[in-house]
Amino acid sequence: MTVIADEVVCAPRTGTLYDVLDLVLDRGIVIDVFVRVSLVGIEILKIDARVVVASVDTYLRFAEVCNRLDLERDSRSRTVPELFGGMSGSVGRAGARKATRSLGGKVGGKVKDALGFGDEDEEPAEDDRDRDRPRRRAAAGGAGGRSGSRAKSRGKEG
Amino acid sequence: MSVYVYGVTRAGLAAPPGIRGIGDPPARVRTPAYGGLAAVVSAAPDKLRPRRRDLRAHQDVQLAFAGRGALLPTRFGAVAADEEAVLARLREGAGSYAAALDRVEGRFEMNLKAAPVEDGIAALVRTDPHVARLRQESRRRPGYDTSVRLGEAVMAGLRRRALAAAREVADVLTELADDVAPGAEVPGGVLNVSFLVAADRVADCRAVVDDLGPQLADRAELRLAGPLPCYSFCGLAAPAGV
Repeated sequence: MTVIADEVVCAPRTGTLYDVLDLVLDRGIVIDVFVRVSLVGIEILKIDARVVVASVDTYLRFAEVCNRLDLERDSRSRTVPELFGGMSGSVGRAGARKATRSLGGKVGGKVKDALGFGDEDEEPAEDDRDRDRPRRRAAAGGAGGRSGSRAKSRGKEG
Repeated sequence: MSVYVYGVTRAGLAAPPGIRGIGDPPARVRTPAYGGLAAVVSAAPDKLRPRRRDLRAHQDVQLAFAGRGALLPTRFGAVAADEEAVLARLREGAGSYAAALDRVEGRFEMNLKAAPVEDGIAALVRTDPHVARLRQESRRRPGYDTSVRLGEAVMAGLRRRALAAAREVADVLTELADDVAPGAEVPGGVLNVSFLVAADRVADCRAVVDDLGPQLADRAELRLAGPLPCYSFCGLAAPAGV
């Protein structure tokens, strides 16, 4: 089992734009006599993101991760809880990081597309750069066969 | 000239120095008042779109006023024909705006979102007979259909685990909050809930998530956003059809 040494550095997310988008766009007061500008790009974005997350690709990938698990080995070592916990932890975490990154990346990419819609001259926002950085670093430091699958999932984002 | 509206606040609350409105170049933020209320407005840009920069400016202006007292934040994109229309609305809604401002005064919104993580797949296979059976089937007869069924069951199981973990955290935050408002479902997420929190409890909320988050990391990814303007606690029902 490849052990991945690099920890993903999570930027403090005290309110990245993506995390509060639903509040800024769908909550807050609505003043009926005022015009509310139509936000077509955002509506499309939300639907797109949901389709990506619940896609068959995701199911197939989950099945693959699930089938790769060495449960027989895990159950034999059930008498040694520390070892057991450590093993399943490292298997799971490695997979999860990959998954989180690819899901988050895809969704983030869509957000970026939508927010940049018709706005080619604009610099990427600060928070987007911050969020990209740890991903890049993690991929560069990835060990063994894992880095290949990471590069692939990163490629899909772009 | 049309004006962009950020929200409703109390009269006498000046725009914080250096605050920049939406648009390029950023518009100057003003606070036209009527009676005890004031609107927070700036000139509306010709073409308003949900750009990153403008969404950010919208939120920053709102947060600056919320931090100085009380603000009823508008949704992004509220534009009035002119300043007179804004003042007329303040006059009509004076009573309900004043009551809603009392409710959010000195408070912020904290938003908790939770998403599933793959960390618990091994635990899921061991504890969920349905998933375990599908996995055996998929190993015995590998194929597209069995894989999809297995993956679907794994996804559902991970979501259940994440939701249970998220609820543990939400329960603790609820005790710190003056009010709670469930949010809309977000793509891929299992929980989206907002808390109305007194300014001096914002740090406590963050400490809860910082403490419990790592403990629950193999079940849920937890993200706490805030302090935010009180988007979910304005106490004004949205007009029908919006």
